[in-house]
Amino acid sequence: MGKVIGIDLGTTNSCVAVFENGESHVIANTEGARTTPSIVAFTPSGEKLVGQIAKRQAVTNPENTIFAVKRLIGRKHDSDEVKRFSSFAPFKVEKSENGDAWVQVKDRAYSPQEISAMILSKMKDTASDYIGEPVEDVVVTVPAYFDDSQRQATQDAGKIAGLNVLRIINEPTAAALSFGLGDSQNRKLAVFDLGGGTFDISILEIANGVFEVRSTNGDTYLGGEDFDQEICSHILNEFKAEHGLDLRTDKMALQRIKEASERAKHELSSCEETDVNLPFIAADESGPKHLTTTLTREKLEELVRDLVERLVSPCKLALEDAGLRREEIDEVILVGGMTRMPIVERKVVEIFGKAPNKGVNPDEIVASGAAIQGGVLKGEVSSVLLLDVTPLSLGVETQGGVATKIIERNTTIPTSSGQVFSTTEDDQTVVSIHVVQGEREMAADNKTLGRFDLVGIPTAPRGVPQIEVSFEIDADGVVNVSAKDLGSGKSQAIRVTASGGLSEQDIESLVTEAEQHTQADRDRRDLVELRNKADGLVYSTERTLEEFAENVTAEDRKQLEAAIEKTRASVKGDDAVALRAVVDELSALTYKMTEQLYAELGGDDTE
Amino acid sequence: MASELAPTEIVALARLIDELDYYQLLHLRRGASISEVKQAYHFSSRAFHPDANRHLSANLQAAVATIARRITEAYSVLRDPGRNKAYLQHLEAGHGVRMQLSEARAEAGRRAVEQKGRTPQGRQYYNLAEAELRREDFAAAARNLQTALTFEPDNEFFKAQLKEAREKIR
Repeated sequence: MGKVIGIDLGTTNSCVAVFENGESHVIANTEGARTTPSIVAFTPSGEKLVGQIAKRQAVTNPENTIFAVKRLIGRKHDSDEVKRFSSFAPFKVEKSENGDAWVQVKDRAYSPQEISAMILSKMKDTASDYIGEPVEDVVVTVPAYFDDSQRQATQDAGKIAGLNVLRIINEPTAAALSFGLGDSQNRKLAVFDLGGGTFDISILEIANGVFEVRSTNGDTYLGGEDFDQEICSHILNEFKAEHGLDLRTDKMALQRIKEASERAKHELSSCEETDVNLPFIAADESGPKHLTTTLTREKLEELVRDLVERLVSPCKLALEDAGLRREEIDEVILVGGMTRMPIVERKVVEIFGKAPNKGVNPDEIVASGAAIQGGVLKGEVSSVLLLDVTPLSLGVETQGGVATKIIERNTTIPTSSGQVFSTTEDDQTVVSIHVVQGEREMAADNKTLGRFDLVGIPTAPRGVPQIEVSFEIDADGVVNVSAKDLGSGKSQAIRVTASGGLSEQDIESLVTEAEQHTQADRDRRDLVELRNKADGLVYSTERTLEEFAENVTAEDRKQLEAAIEKTRASVKGDDAVALRAVVDELSALTYKMTEQLYAELGGDDTE
Repeated sequence: MASELAPTEIVALARLIDELDYYQLLHLRRGASISEVKQAYHFSSRAFHPDANRHLSANLQAAVATIARRITEAYSVLRDPGRNKAYLQHLEAGHGVRMQLSEARAEAGRRAVEQKGRTPQGRQYYNLAEAELRREDFAAAARNLQTALTFEPDNEFFKAQLKEAREKIR
């Protein structure tokens, strides 16, 4: 049975862990790092780069280096979040046919699902290299506060990457699983997860191996990227005030400032002040301009005060929904790189009235928990059972555009709930139902999950037909609807009229495309390896010919030299088949020569 | 695990699910306490949660999923004291085995006022008692409920809670 992996697909960094021998281990990538930047770049030569190598070239290629695509996934192009994102992204965010936000690279538009799939593939390769065989089964994590379309989109990304997604689980829940595994104590946890792009707070109760999420809350658009942005704006404003130059229009300068801001933020978690030095950032008539400034922790904390304040209300709501007072929480666990920031930690202490647990690695615990859940789903761990909740209320639009709740937020899943519908006119045969997700009072302010019609209702006076619609949320958090005519007891036909994201066909064609790319990538790698081999062979053959000049017959020499020439010519081309043929020929001749040499010189090596 | 039930029993239970009320689904007597509800739900979840049943055939997994959804539906109503009481009334009035969320909320809302107490002192002592009930410290809860009742002698909800707490002490 193949091994199962867990992937924490983060906004800024991703992490992969494998479940083996009853434990989960984080796997380092080929560069030796335990997390990989969630960045994909397309180079001018048409090459695709993922991870650290993509991050490294961002400054020189800002328009084609895609980062933080998690902030776009499953969102509409016209949403406020996407507008905010595009206002500072150096790459183009476009509107797709179905209204989703996509990214434009050169002449091709990519869905966030495709970009995420490239990151997932990189993580998958990291795991496959470590395990020594291809992996397929995976548990992928998402922010607890992600809605249905964001979850579906993440699942689709997994499919495009050729992965079998066993389950999408919530990041804070995964962290709790990793924290509480093998712990027999019954206790109540708060998991405070502030990552690169999202903020989640989850309250859990652990009792006898059952991990029951009591409530979850958060903000899917609040994270490290926003903090970096505040620093960035501050540096830009300062520079403008001093030099009268606005660097906002210069993408390369902007990218350098963005990276420097992130670095400064990191340093200020352990130092009181740090210098930002960016020479030759711009030039005007008077010559080149350098950006040099000092940032103190105090200044940083002043810049991000509003962001930090936004952490408070989700925590209070989560406690309230869990029906717990803060004194009843036994442990507060910090997850996500942003929790290293002293002001964030102080806020946590202020909110929960106790110091957080510092025994976990905030960058790795989510992937590690995801791998454990993979073990549970594979039947390798039977002591643990995870009972998660749906983060958002599910409802339908009723008279006057009001959203009537059918399943409340923080209801344990999988679950179902029934709602009886009837007709509003005599002899009405179709009832349309608009399903929405969210907490707002009006349906239009919430997110549309889908629209469907109850069709073929027997003709009757208005209000007489009684159709019970069962709304179901499965363990993945995905919503299904079924209906039954209470009069006849027969199941009622449903016609789905709208949904978002990628269709099954879209996904299939993307999977094929990704596979072709994988093939192309593999071919390219094979060619490079072959060229190296050819070069090596030419070199060693020439050395041998030189060294044993008198022992090689003129005829053999002629043959060998011809083969070397052919190989040299072939190495310059792109034809792998032709190259392989000449390399094989040359290596056969070389073997023959060495054999003869050994025989002649009576070498000790008896083959 | 669900393997304790034979495949035919799982299928039969799934088919029967629309007939069972929330107490029957969780194998509880009517009027079971909140902590009993929780225990019963955890027990049933170990058996029927889809995560614990991935080794079953697709057909059986579908049946198990149906059961799992319905036991959670039962739990979400019964674990809330207000909704639990409202559901009892709903059953006794012969309104069918499922309760719509809107109905549960309206009923629970009306009860919430009574539940939390009508006087500031009643509310204060009831809140203390509620926390102690959750910690299963029934003696302390009973003391605070008694105090709450001195401020609101006719609060039926407080009386019922006190009775339950006293039973637990024994």
